[in-house]
Amino acid sequence: MKAFAYFDSGHEFPEEIVMAAGFSPMKILGDVHKGTAAADEYLFPFFCPFARGCLADALENSGKWSGIGVAHGCDATDHHYDMWRDHVKGVPIFWVNTPMKMDQLARTFYIQELKRFIDNLDKQYSVKVGDKELKDAISLSNQVKSLLRQLAPLRVKKDIPNRDYFEIMRKSIQMPKESLVEDLKKTLADWENRKPFPAGKIPTFLTGSDVSFVEFMDLLDNAGFRVVRDDLSLGERYFATSIPDAASPVEALVTYSFDMPRSATRVPSDGRLEYILAVLKDTKIDTVVSQNMKFCEPYAMDAVWTIPAIKGKGYNCMHFERDFTPADNQLFTRLEAFKETIQQKGGRSNV
Amino acid sequence: MLTIGLDIGSITTKIAVMNSKALIDAKVSFTGYNVEKAWRNILKETLDRLQLKESAVDRIVATGYGRSGVSIANETVTEIKCHAVGARFYMDNVASVIDIGGQDSKFIRIDKGGNVADFVMNDKCAAGTGRFLEVMARALEVDLTDFSKLSLQARKSSPISSMCTVFAESEVISLIAKGESRENIIAGINESIVNRLVSMIGRSKIEEPVVLTGGVAQNIGIQTALMKKLKIKIWVPETAQVNGAIGAAILARNI
Ligand code: SF4
Repeated sequence: MKAFAYFDSGHEFPEEIVMAAGFSPMKILGDVHKGTAAADEYLFPFFCPFARGCLADALENSGKWSGIGVAHGCDATDHHYDMWRDHVKGVPIFWVNTPMKMDQLARTFYIQELKRFIDNLDKQYSVKVGDKELKDAISLSNQVKSLLRQLAPLRVKKDIPNRDYFEIMRKSIQMPKESLVEDLKKTLADWENRKPFPAGKIPTFLTGSDVSFVEFMDLLDNAGFRVVRDDLSLGERYFATSIPDAASPVEALVTYSFDMPRSATRVPSDGRLEYILAVLKDTKIDTVVSQNMKFCEPYAMDAVWTIPAIKGKGYNCMHFERDFTPADNQLFTRLEAFKETIQQKGGRSNV
Repeated sequence: MLTIGLDIGSITTKIAVMNSKALIDAKVSFTGYNVEKAWRNILKETLDRLQLKESAVDRIVATGYGRSGVSIANETVTEIKCHAVGARFYMDNVASVIDIGGQDSKFIRIDKGGNVADFVMNDKCAAGTGRFLEVMARALEVDLTDFSKLSLQARKSSPISSMCTVFAESEVISLIAKGESRENIIAGINESIVNRLVSMIGRSKIEEPVVLTGGVAQNIGIQTALMKKLKIKIWVPETAQVNGAIGAAILARNI
């Protein structure tokens, strides 16, 4: 099954529609080791390096993909759609205009938008995406989400390094779903037999811009922060909720899109803070690491009120800006210092 | 008890040798590209000068960006904690530390118990750090010692508005071309560093007494601009540049 690549910023792209059209959805992540040079000549410097890395990836690999979908998330996704149409050659590129508001009007709009996307796929690839195909795709997708929901809580109890969690998430958004299900079942058996949660690691909630490369997760782990909860798209946002059972599969996808843990790109973002606070209370963890990718405005702006609110509740909380680079010595020092302040006080620290 | 603190910074490597009460010796050298060579050399030179053998040293703590490369260290500690501890050696009731190093600037708030209550650090950008000053001094063809004093002779300060070190350098060059005096330009550069620091500190509360540490702390122009901007008194220890190493040596006593 050929890959259908997509670029979104907060799990907005409806994977199930391209699955129903016979493709394997694959989220573009860029390659931190190759950098962004290939894309830089087409972009102004204010675009975040993650989005630049995605364009570099598309310029290099689009020939291997059947199509590219870009879903509206942040400003980067919108402008990239226009630029990719000009510069990424030889592959059809589709736009999915996911609404950022979540009221009734937006719901009606999004139903029409998904139907338009389906029509465009039907025409482009001479396929027929009907309710049956969509329901099958939703069922497979829900199987993946259900397995991820069984795996994720093991992070609190077992020794699951950050990189292992990142790796199952990367597979979940990049591997064909049929083989993924088998893979996740094996991983579940493996994780259940892991050693207990290691002493000395700080159970941590990770929030902010999407983390798209494993080295950042290693950095957190090496500094002593074990991610046991999160609200990332390469994380819990992807599997926290299932796509509901509904007579109309398109409407089910819309409900799913509106009900998932909110990203900073969606307005109003009060729900995002409420979700984080509820998870912290539920899991009884008291440390939050919040990060935003350089030039990632949605999370930088959101942090201005989200972080003081989290700190105000007494949680250990550190917010910082990071780069698109596999090695970051300065950041490591900041994280280690954060850990030192938590340890010396035997608990709370706000940085 | 004899302990050593080694602070491997991006520009300079610092060493502090302490007994259980006092600072015995301290030294600064350039780090260069070889971190291991830098700490081995400064350690050997210092021990030779003090006529001590390595075996006489009870414990070593390493800090700074190159801390993990110090293979003989008994422990590594971040420079944030070391600067807090070092500043307390100088002033027991210190409440805030501003450290301006080669590639980092930090604001550290210390609680009543002497622990780090919170800290902020510059995001990855050389503006507001020692590296920025170095680049500007080079553009003005002034050495760093003269650079420090010249701003005091300024009649006014020429504002530098570029946030980026590279663009600030070309802004400085265009000010020179316009005939602006070096003194005024240097005063403008100092103000721009201080403005960056103050915006980094942001809403964190600066409580007095405040100690200024790091290589840039010796710059009288920066000290003056910082006090004027923050409307507070700032203490600069003679040992400001080796403050992190002193903190490391003190921490080495208790590991
Ligand atoms: S990192 Fe931020 S700015 Fe970049 S694509 Fe994601 S949400 Fe948009």
